[in-house]
Amino acid sequence: MKWYKADLHIHSVLSPCGDLGMSPQAVIDQLIDHKIDIFAITDHNSMLNFNTYYKKAQEYHLSCIMGIEVQTQEEIHLLAFFDSHEDGFAFSQALYDSLLPIANDPDFFGDQVILGDNDEILGFEEKALINSSMWTLDETYEKVLEFNGFCYPAHEDALSFSIIAQLGFIPQQPNFQAIGITAKCIIQNLFTKYPYLKNYTLIRSSDAHYIQDVASGFTKFFINEPTVAEIKKACSGIDGRKILS
Amino acid sequence: MRINTEEFIKSIDGEVLTDTQSLQNVIIEGGYVSDLLSDVMGNARENQVWITIMKHLNVIAVASLANMSCVCFANNVTPDQTVIDKAIDENVCLIKSNLSTFEIAGRLYQLMHQ
Repeated sequence: MKWYKADLHIHSVLSPCGDLGMSPQAVIDQLIDHKIDIFAITDHNSMLNFNTYYKKAQEYHLSCIMGIEVQTQEEIHLLAFFDSHEDGFAFSQALYDSLLPIANDPDFFGDQVILGDNDEILGFEEKALINSSMWTLDETYEKVLEFNGFCYPAHEDALSFSIIAQLGFIPQQPNFQAIGITAKCIIQNLFTKYPYLKNYTLIRSSDAHYIQDVASGFTKFFINEPTVAEIKKACSGIDGRKILS
Repeated sequence: MRINTEEFIKSIDGEVLTDTQSLQNVIIEGGYVSDLLSDVMGNARENQVWITIMKHLNVIAVASLANMSCVCFANNVTPDQTVIDKAIDENVCLIKSNLSTFEIAGRLYQLMHQ
């Protein structure tokens, strides 16, 4: 086993709020500068840009994990990850179908850009991705399991789109092993405010929408290989796996 | 000012999802409208009706914590049976109505100020 430095929450140009400077090359240059080994592109409710970033990452021998940021019916953001690309895309399609049929307003939210392998613009996603699924938190959790994925709530220290903001506190079910925190989170303050969060493994990531924020938040995983299955095991400390956030 | 619970239910054409026998124990002295549970925890007061479209199990815990007498689901939102069972355990009255949050709050306000 060895230590891997990971930033598991990065937006691409597909996210309406993602800056156009977040091209695959720019993101990967920034990741290499910060010695990141594993990253995930987690756009809102879609994986349409995964392949482009994945291919670019392979050129540089970086591990690009398949991820997505789901907005549940309760307006909670969950990060979901998949080892199998087939499972991931099937999940993404099911989620897309569960989104409310509302068109994106680029003037207000920004463009939702779909990129090709050479950073060329293939098109624009028309359906508003910054939108909720009809799936509840519980249903989304079940769906992720159904497609062999792993998920945890994003940015629990944020004042919006977190479980604590929306539901007051983290319910006993679904049984999350980990919760996400932002780059700026001061863990001691978080535990003072919500002592029961000590029961969870914390995963810090950047939630970068702008290039300078990539790798500003990261987590180190002591694992066998850079996979979702290993990260999941590390969250429960199985067989000597560890996490530093 | 205390509102007659049955009168309130009638005014919003509501359906009681929990025990109808114990309605006389439900004290309504006002209302609070919110779909953010953290906001309710911070700002709702005892014996208010909470009007919401949220139906997560945590709604019951938060209502109970804030000593709210009753949760009223707008837009015909119907919680799962597990949520209703929990409400019965916690002595929280659950009502649902076809009306919107705005309409329900308006009618409650009228009852309070007539």
